[in-house]
Amino acid sequence: MATRQILAVTVLALLLLQGCGRPDDGDGDGSDGRSAGLETGATLETVDPGGQTVRFWYQHTRRREDELQQMIADFNATNGHGIEVIGEYAGSYGDIYNKMLVTLQGGSSPSMVVAYQNQALAYYEADGIVDLNPYMESEKWGLTPGDRDDLVAAFLAQDNVDGTQIGFPPNRSLETLYYNADWLAELGYDGPPHTWLQFAEMCRRATAQPFSRAVTGAHSLGFYMDADASRLASMVFSRGGRLVNAENTAYTLDSREARQALVLMAELAGEGVVRLVGEDYGDQTAFFRGEVLFVLGSTSGLPNFRRGIEDAGGSFAWSVVPPPHGAGPPVVNVYGASISICRTTPAQQLAAWLFLRWFTGPEQQARWVRASNYFPARKSAAAGLSDYFAQNPGFGKAYALLDYGRSEPAMAGYQQVRRLMADAIVEVIDGAEVGQVLERLQRRANDTLKDY
Amino acid sequence: MAGRATAQTANRWHRGLVYACLAAGALIAAVPFIWMALASVMTRSETLRRVFFPSEIMWDNYRLAWEEADFGLYFQNSLIVALLTVAGTLLLSLLAAYPLARMRFAGCDLVFAGILATMMIPETVTMVPNFLTITWIHQLSPIPWLDSWPALTIPFMASAFCIFLLRQFLRGLPADLWDAAQIDGAGHVRFLFQIVLPLCRAPLLTVGMFTFIGSWNALAWPLLVTYTPTWRPIAVGLQQFVNEAGAEVHLQMAGAVIATLPVLALYFLIQREFTEGISMSGMKG
Repeated sequence: MATRQILAVTVLALLLLQGCGRPDDGDGDGSDGRSAGLETGATLETVDPGGQTVRFWYQHTRRREDELQQMIADFNATNGHGIEVIGEYAGSYGDIYNKMLVTLQGGSSPSMVVAYQNQALAYYEADGIVDLNPYMESEKWGLTPGDRDDLVAAFLAQDNVDGTQIGFPPNRSLETLYYNADWLAELGYDGPPHTWLQFAEMCRRATAQPFSRAVTGAHSLGFYMDADASRLASMVFSRGGRLVNAENTAYTLDSREARQALVLMAELAGEGVVRLVGEDYGDQTAFFRGEVLFVLGSTSGLPNFRRGIEDAGGSFAWSVVPPPHGAGPPVVNVYGASISICRTTPAQQLAAWLFLRWFTGPEQQARWVRASNYFPARKSAAAGLSDYFAQNPGFGKAYALLDYGRSEPAMAGYQQVRRLMADAIVEVIDGAEVGQVLERLQRRANDTLKDY
Repeated sequence: MAGRATAQTANRWHRGLVYACLAAGALIAAVPFIWMALASVMTRSETLRRVFFPSEIMWDNYRLAWEEADFGLYFQNSLIVALLTVAGTLLLSLLAAYPLARMRFAGCDLVFAGILATMMIPETVTMVPNFLTITWIHQLSPIPWLDSWPALTIPFMASAFCIFLLRQFLRGLPADLWDAAQIDGAGHVRFLFQIVLPLCRAPLLTVGMFTFIGSWNALAWPLLVTYTPTWRPIAVGLQQFVNEAGAEVHLQMAGAVIATLPVLALYFLIQREFTEGISMSGMKG
């Protein structure tokens, strides 16, 4: 091909690539932007939400979705303003995040979206969602003092970044250590581990002495390490560490606690008593079969554990405890996606808020807990769930740990950092030097902050 | 004589070795599909216990998968979307490939190089501009594009790969055909549709097959441009069997079998033409 043609093709490819960039970094038409001034609460009281259609993107499927759709139908029938909420399954959390990032540029985002704190912050920084403080504080539409007292303050605080309420919590869950109690008894222990050293010792013994009632006996293992940032966060939190500094301005991933956590995992992996999870939910299914002694996982999976163990033909006592924490108080990783209100029109934003306020009311919360097995964001809802707690002892036990919760960073680039953390776990388990891995992880994590 | 016998024996061994390697490769490739089919008729308990063979065939999994995830609707959507995309791709690719292969005009090679250049850009990179374009058209168009069939089909009808494949085939047609057609008074359009088209059966089926598979398996784009199940394809239906607490593998695999069947059936129907099309268009290594 002639040089001229090669040059022309290069220019064409560059033009195409340029077209793929963000088309407009300006303020748009500004008609419904921050200049609308709703964040100040100045005009909120006069906005009429009547007759608005609210599109709500969520990730729930099957039973949870059925119940959510039923709740939406009830709201639509009873809200008194003629507001119609349309609930739409929009894929997994990751799918929704990708979809939001694209639709924010195309101007066709929904009215409400399920988002983790770091995702919501990214939307907020792209001017895609609104601050909920004016809605919460509105005399006409807001929360009563009783409502405020009733909400779990720690949950609400997770969605508050420098005074901006980027989301509202409909529920939460936390990460606990699931353990096979009968197997522990066979190994000669009278309870779950209090320290990580005990944990390591139990893992070693479990690997050497398989569970007598394991369903297949294919292998025996102490712990399956999932290459997931939340697993590492739990291990760091339980040792008293943090992932970011006190000011929330920089990552502190190269910490003593992170080092201890990864060194232990690498050591146990080297001994063959810890393995990386090779497939989605592989750690859970191995636990169901009695092949692994411990699993770190979300409390929202409690019913699935109960059913999974029954379905796998296992019959053993199991329970949940906070990850080992030594003599000090436990620290557990509390997480959960909240609901953010997208920047649309003042009337639509208000209509979305009214649904959100209704959905997080005590009655609806109790209903949602039963369908989702999430922890309610209302204290009064928990009080009305005593029968549910009795039927699900693990749930009640885990709920009592909420006072010891700590959350993962609400920083806009955390999604990217989570992937880096997962890569770091794999590298360490594969034999890389922990110090180098953590030093690189921290540097790369802090590099992501430059983008925001 | 002895030499020939030795050569025959060596040849037999060689052939046996080749067949053994091919059989091993085929088995490795087939195991996931075999497991998928077996897991689709297991109980949940059996999938959790990782048995390879089900103790009892659970045909009911197919009914459950079909009903609980609204597979009927997703299946119908996928079929309509795939057929529309295939039809559009075949027409546009042929119309684009013909002049690039058979006509000389200023900038012909440059245009072709430009089309080839678009193949170097990953699909994920083009997602944002494509979405912005679709949103813009949606706002101007009298018929809805978003959450409807146009957004799922029209952007994929112009395929650089399909144009390339057909162009390679069309370039191989003898020039005498065009000369004879001209003597008979045919122009390019008549030549294309009356003489070239019947000769293009194999490459067209190959292009159709590739396009059908691409459309059938699509997930990210349909999730992006649809909001309701009205036009969502079967790949979205498969996601229904996974939630935050885990996957229902037996139902997911039953759904996967249902989703795979049309592609398999299509391949078995046109496998000869498919192989022929690949080799005739110079794609075969």
